[in-house]
Amino acid sequence: MAVFMDLNITYTTDKKRLRSVIETAAHLGYSTVAINYVVDLQQKKQEIGKPKCVLELFDTFPIVQGKSRPIKVLNRLTVVASDPSHFRPNAEYKAYDLVAVYPKTEKLFHAACMTFDVDIICVAVTEKQPFFFKRSPVNGAIERGVFFEISYTPAIRDSTMRRYTIANAISLTETCKGKNLIVTSGAERPLELRGPYDIANLGLLFGLSEEDGKAAISTNCRAVHLHGETRKTALGIVHTMKKDQPLTERQEEEHVPASKRAKLETVDS
Amino acid sequence: MVRLKSRYLLCEVCVSDRSNLLLLDDRAIYTATKAAVARAHGDYGAALSSLGFSVKYLNAHTGIVFLRCRKSHYRLIWSALPFIASLENRGQRVPCFLNCLHVGGTIRTCQKYLVRYNTQQLHRMLPFCQSEAERSEIRKSLLSCTLKKEADDVDEEEDD
Repeated sequence: MAVFMDLNITYTTDKKRLRSVIETAAHLGYSTVAINYVVDLQQKKQEIGKPKCVLELFDTFPIVQGKSRPIKVLNRLTVVASDPSHFRPNAEYKAYDLVAVYPKTEKLFHAACMTFDVDIICVAVTEKQPFFFKRSPVNGAIERGVFFEISYTPAIRDSTMRRYTIANAISLTETCKGKNLIVTSGAERPLELRGPYDIANLGLLFGLSEEDGKAAISTNCRAVHLHGETRKTALGIVHTMKKDQPLTERQEEEHVPASKRAKLETVDS
Repeated sequence: MVRLKSRYLLCEVCVSDRSNLLLLDDRAIYTATKAAVARAHGDYGAALSSLGFSVKYLNAHTGIVFLRCRKSHYRLIWSALPFIASLENRGQRVPCFLNCLHVGGTIRTCQKYLVRYNTQQLHRMLPFCQSEAERSEIRKSLLSCTLKKEADDVDEEEDD
């Protein structure tokens, strides 16, 4: 059971366009999409805001192609870091389902791989990678379960970007041997999305094998989603959530004894 | 007997405005694909794609395309398909993308898949009917189309 996911749909204030992108993704067979909010802290007056509630977007979510359930929409934050002070985990990060970091320098890349509490490390696709991917930080990231992301929309738009994307992707896959890699769209318009099987095959250009290419859009994305979930819980073992207290009437308490029990739930993942 | 094996890519042309689909023809898709392969893989790709590559079938109403290529290098040609962003026909550009639905070894298996896929599409679209009258009309038009050829049936199904 491989469900396809696209964990990068660029957020636009144009609600209608965002809606049509998500509808197209559902038509293509993606079961989960993540709306990406990019924050570049180098520019002044950039604030990490609260994500928009996904329920506002649709009354009824579109049904996924080939499945009978509606599409799932997540929120994702991407921090563009060019200075170590830019990445500060605080309460604002917790509102997002996924957190990604886009390191601009080698030092930050090393820190992102080894220490930062993130799910995804973005790889440059619009410019030449300014540093080499060294074996040790990449292996560290693989050990910690952090994933690397390549987005393909710039490659579709422009021929020069395509060269950068392929070159950077290949230099990464040589180091990480095709493991811990996800391929996402980064689409702003509905016509920039591509079908999941096409993307799995596009992995051929990125130096991935057939199997790794398919994993890059299905199982690896699922791992990222679960990794994001564990950040909200205590090491993915204990998960606390607020339950609505039943009204004080005794009758109701008799009907719902389950809610009196411990409010701890184990996460089965 | 040994025969040359080929692969058939069953693709769907996705456009934002469905009326633009009628502008398409075989030639436009053939040239766009060849250009995309040449752009992505250079002369080598262009040479490989000139061998046994053809557009077998195009349904301009539903936007379904069958591409045929040699089995030995179909992945090379397939990997260039995502880079098609628009098709051009008689001076008009249609922004679109190709979505590969199925890869088959014969036209027959692709056709079987297509029938199943179109039934699925029908089930997806039926809940969007505005009224019961509209729904019954679609049902009637579906039943009235004669089963002379299976291909006709397929065409009818998606013209919602």
